[in-house]
Amino acid sequence: MVQDEGSSSSVTSSPLHNFSNMPLHPAVASSTTPLWMMRELRSDERGLCLIHLLLNCAGAAAAGRLDAANAALEHIASLAAPDGDAMQRVAAAFAEPLARRALRAWPGLCRALLLPRASPTPAEVAVARRHFHDLCPFLRLASAAANQSILEAMESEKIVHVIDLGGADATQWLELLHLLAARPEGPPHLRLTSVHEHKDLLSQTAMALTKEAERLDVPFQFNPVVSRLDALDVESLRVKTGEALAICSSLQLHCLLASDDDVTAAAAAAGGEKERRSPESGLSPSTSRADAFLGALWGLSPKVMVVTEQEASHNAAGLTERFVEALNYYAALFDCLELGAARGSVERARVERWLLGEEIKNIVACDGAQRLERHERLERWARRLEGAGFGRVPLSYYALLQARRVAQGLGCDGFKVREEKGTFFLCWQDRALFSVSAWRGRRFD
Amino acid sequence: MAASSSAPFFGLADTQMPPQNPNPPLLQAPSPAAAAPAQKKKRNQPGNPNPDAEVIALSPRTLMATNRFVCEVCNKGFQREQNLQLHRRGHNLPWKLKQKNPKEARRRVYLCPEPTCVHHDPSRALGDLTGIKKHYCRKHGEKKWRCDKCSKRYAVQSDWKAHSKTCGTREYRCDCGTLFSRRDSFITHRAFCDALAQENARMAPPIGAGMYGGVGNMTAAALGLTVMAANQMPSGFPDEAAGHPPASAGEVLRLGGSNGAGVGASQFDHLMSSSSASSMFRSQGSSSSSFYLGNAAHHAPAQDFPENGQSQGGQGSLLHGKPAAFHDLMQLPVQHQQSSNGNILNLGFFSANNGGAAGGQDGRLVFQDQFNSSAGNGTGASSNGGIVTSGGLAGNHLGSAGASFPSLYSSSESAGGLPQMSATALLQKAAQLGATTSSYNAAGGGAGSLLRGASPHGISAGEGPSHERQFHDLLMSGAGFGGRVFSGASGFGSVDDGKLSTRDFLGVGGVLHGMSGSAAMGPPRHTAAAAGLHIGSLDPAKLT
Repeated sequence: MVQDEGSSSSVTSSPLHNFSNMPLHPAVASSTTPLWMMRELRSDERGLCLIHLLLNCAGAAAAGRLDAANAALEHIASLAAPDGDAMQRVAAAFAEPLARRALRAWPGLCRALLLPRASPTPAEVAVARRHFHDLCPFLRLASAAANQSILEAMESEKIVHVIDLGGADATQWLELLHLLAARPEGPPHLRLTSVHEHKDLLSQTAMALTKEAERLDVPFQFNPVVSRLDALDVESLRVKTGEALAICSSLQLHCLLASDDDVTAAAAAAGGEKERRSPESGLSPSTSRADAFLGALWGLSPKVMVVTEQEASHNAAGLTERFVEALNYYAALFDCLELGAARGSVERARVERWLLGEEIKNIVACDGAQRLERHERLERWARRLEGAGFGRVPLSYYALLQARRVAQGLGCDGFKVREEKGTFFLCWQDRALFSVSAWRGRRFD
Repeated sequence: MAASSSAPFFGLADTQMPPQNPNPPLLQAPSPAAAAPAQKKKRNQPGNPNPDAEVIALSPRTLMATNRFVCEVCNKGFQREQNLQLHRRGHNLPWKLKQKNPKEARRRVYLCPEPTCVHHDPSRALGDLTGIKKHYCRKHGEKKWRCDKCSKRYAVQSDWKAHSKTCGTREYRCDCGTLFSRRDSFITHRAFCDALAQENARMAPPIGAGMYGGVGNMTAAALGLTVMAANQMPSGFPDEAAGHPPASAGEVLRLGGSNGAGVGASQFDHLMSSSSASSMFRSQGSSSSSFYLGNAAHHAPAQDFPENGQSQGGQGSLLHGKPAAFHDLMQLPVQHQQSSNGNILNLGFFSANNGGAAGGQDGRLVFQDQFNSSAGNGTGASSNGGIVTSGGLAGNHLGSAGASFPSLYSSSESAGGLPQMSATALLQKAAQLGATTSSYNAAGGGAGSLLRGASPHGISAGEGPSHERQFHDLLMSGAGFGGRVFSGASGFGSVDDGKLSTRDFLGVGGVLHGMSGSAAMGPPRHTAAAAGLHIGSLDPAKLT
């Protein structure tokens, strides 16, 4: 669907709000309708019902009206299914976060119920991420573009230092090793510094990459840095002055936007959730941590920095805005997954539960410093990066061809790479889901 | 660092000093060394947020100078002043070790004096004096040291030593069995080795291969054209096909896999309901509409699609692409006619499984017209339709072609929607419902059959007037289509809006149950009203 950029929320949300205000399908609305009759709903009717219910529930949860939220959730529960069609699965993924959100008014209940329920372990998350990689090509497209960009920037360099802020995904670097090994002038000495929270994932990556480099005869050195991104000390990256440096950040930077400012603001919001209509345009204090980090990266003087981020605005202050945005965004992702996997696919279920579900939970149910999934659209990231001293580097045409070739090779239309001013937008059916952009540290200009 | 402590040095043994000056880097008289820029000290831009280092540019002479610090007693040379001082202790001479003041000492970075060098640029300055010296010597110095086993030469003695330790100890074996002792020759060999060619082609296929695919039964002319086409392709790559064609109208583009038809065919079948597809093609038959599918990744056996290219020969072969909606493929309609002036562009428009062309995609309509007019011989022009471009395809439903192309694909439309709509489509519909009800209210009366039943439904219109007008227009345009009444309160049409790009997934003109007949409307609405159960903030009073 053509997703309106820019003033997205105002245009789509009011029709959806109107929609949510419409009377529900009589079969569903009446609580006395027996279950079997509800199943008579066609899938699209059911889908529309679900949207209706979700929106209402979100509104109720935001306003603290627990009864209404409860009623909506009941209906949602009967209609949604984690193994149903796309809309049902979306609803199932949103239901729990909504419930959590509604329960925030009762912190005692929250604690008692939710703490023991484990979030997925890092290993599970890694597995889910790998499945996501396999089922949906977006990250593959992004890493193809990133690798190409790095390759071009490092043309004729003998020693290349790459910093991976995203941690533990080996496939991109395996491909980079191949690309470098295939260079006409021979491979450079590649040093890869990988930042990740968890040590074991890093060591797995290290082993796989070192083995491959050995096989390809590419001089290779892997430096793991075990650290969370917001606690990263750039000194530990050991960047040598004057070396050719490339930085790659894949869906990582948005976590840094969870700033201290938000914590105090959330505490200050009296009582329940009020929909604050604070504009999304970044207030400068609220982005201080991200800006500081970007500044530190700039200080490393990278030759190229490739940033992949989700193309969505999930960082509004008000729940409803975020909810509507998230609904649209994850609906597109779920649709995409629908095509990629069979109905009962375990992999897809994992992705939806441990990866996307967690993101949704974070966006909808959390706030303040805990809300890490603060996706923002590229235009805002661009402003931030430029403010930190970076200059945009257009991704090359060849990179576009590469990415498109990968997209076409998937045998499924729907995946699209749109290029705009040197940035790639990875789209599903015209809805941009991820953005890939390249930057260089401007210095001594 | 040695350089910083020259002041006491000067006080000591001037006579021993070599005539050129191992100066503090800050003040350098221009040295006669070649190609050295003035030893200017470049200051960084003030106000940089990051602690910036001081950038220092030394002359080549300074860099190459060894043993600048010489003992007065025994004339032994030292590279560093500290070392000299320690040596002086042995002569019982007064010595003084100067400490670097941590407060004052600024980080220094050094530039390579060679202008063609990467490290000549301040942003790539090296951080270490010894490092820059070695770098300069290695890269821009004379290679005086030579390995005995192989012919490698080195400028820095330590490099040479390090190499001779490992020279000959490592062997490389190519997959074809050849043995190498030197890495560079090994690598060169591998680049041309046949045994590896296959593997490489699989791993990182060059873009050219992608373009041309298998040569197959292309004529040489086609090959030439292909090259041209390939070069042309970039220009045609924008997402809107509209921009492209007139420029290349004259060309016959033949791009794609080995059997162009084959590739397309397989993909097409793979993606679309085959019946409509094949019928489409057969109807086009020799008029060979073709879309270009620029994908090399698919290798498919030839399908049933006739390869007109062979029969035509000459000018170039045909592209038989399946007109499926492939994103980002060059949707170049290529038509090859018997007249073989290659100017015929036959556009096939296929309502691929992504629904029909949206009315909003006006660019394509325009494009089509251009082509139609430019298509001299109207052979097979019947198959003209819009050009399926990658944009504007939503969902994977076999849907009706948009109203814009009724003549073409009525046969290909599958009546009735697929049982399952994608989530995004549902959201669009919901948005549209929300929008249309509100605008309908404002419009009052609306498009005939569509919203008849919904009239009194008083949902407050949230949109501004522009929205209402827009939706009103949409409703009007969509009036011809059957609407579907949902929840007994409103209906909507399959409006093709450039913005929303919705489709009537439930079939063009198809009358679905629960349709907008007012009679049908009655009971559900009443039920809804009677039930009076609404979730959310719906005001019951608003219902009639």
